[in-house]
Amino acid sequence: MSMTLPSIACLGVIGRNNNPLHISIFNSYDPSTNSFRPVRTPLQFSLLLSSTLDVFELRSRAHAAQGTGLTGDFGLLHAVDERLAAYGFETNTGVKFVVVVDMRGRKASTTAGVGEDGKRSGTVGTTGVGLREGEMRVVFKAMQAAYIRLMQNPFYDPDEHSPVAGPGKKITSRKFGEEMRKIGEGWMPGVTSL
Amino acid sequence: MAANKASRLGEEIWKTRIDKVNAELVVLTYGTIVSQLCKDFDSDYVEVNKQLDKMGYNIGLRLIEDYLAKSNTVRRCSNFKETAEMIAKVGFKIFLNITPTIANWTNDGKQFSLILDENPFADFVELPDDGRAQDELWYSNILCGVLRGALEMVQMQVEAHFISDVLRGNDTTEMRITLIRYIDDELPPEDD
Repeated sequence: MSMTLPSIACLGVIGRNNNPLHISIFNSYDPSTNSFRPVRTPLQFSLLLSSTLDVFELRSRAHAAQGTGLTGDFGLLHAVDERLAAYGFETNTGVKFVVVVDMRGRKASTTAGVGEDGKRSGTVGTTGVGLREGEMRVVFKAMQAAYIRLMQNPFYDPDEHSPVAGPGKKITSRKFGEEMRKIGEGWMPGVTSL
Repeated sequence: MAANKASRLGEEIWKTRIDKVNAELVVLTYGTIVSQLCKDFDSDYVEVNKQLDKMGYNIGLRLIEDYLAKSNTVRRCSNFKETAEMIAKVGFKIFLNITPTIANWTNDGKQFSLILDENPFADFVELPDDGRAQDELWYSNILCGVLRGALEMVQMQVEAHFISDVLRGNDTTEMRITLIRYIDDELPPEDD
């Protein structure tokens, strides 16, 4: 039996009006064919991201009632099945980052000890266990940093992307897409920077 | 060596006599100007370049006074090569904290390139993806105007334009500066 590790299956950025801004989908390891491909179709991922919106709303309402936690890590939003789990983060401006983790998406034999980039990753090897609290923080931080860089581009118009009425534009920046790809492919449990 | 003296001078002024301002403020302000111009002129990038150059020119006319005061310049540059050194190692240093490389002199010593290894204006910038901006817009064109305006005030008529920009996917950001003539102080303008 081949060992597997968690990997990122999908990264989503959702605007303040619950409009999709960006979706990146990543390959997962498929032991039956020993190949790499996405574990769901783009439509399924899109629906999965949409389904997290209700959780976001419920949690932020609960937060507001308690007067705490306007922004930040929302933790595990929803465990889809024994493989996929969605984690969320919301900023004060209502932009949401969602990470869908595939608990068995990475082939352990190729990555245990030494990552694909050749970096040693100390804590890898704890196969099969769930993710620790705060494990996603580094991903959200990296996504937020990329989003901030995107906003600094004078030619990126936030109003066009999250208009009050109607669907907005999606993020077309190549640089942003590239950064999402790096985050999605680079993350594994235990990494401390992306 | 004059080049070393210039860079030491630039370094010293930058450290002691310059009021610093937050870089992001500058980047965002300049970015807003350019993107607003693009909107106002309906993405007529040729016109945007022209407007940026004009703005720069008006900045240059004033900025030169500040430059002369801060650099304590008491004498003229003896030739255009020295001017180039002072622009790159003192001017750019004290106003933008960068030192462009001077390169590609023509044999007559009247034309050179400034290669901007880093361009603070262009941080975070991605040109619009409309298929034209990449070919038409010179994002940092205001700098050309600044040089033109500043040098005109010290009796040098120059022409400056960008010939490559990393924002367009080129390897370097390169500005070409050509000395057209020294303006004669004595003559009133109508005798030109």
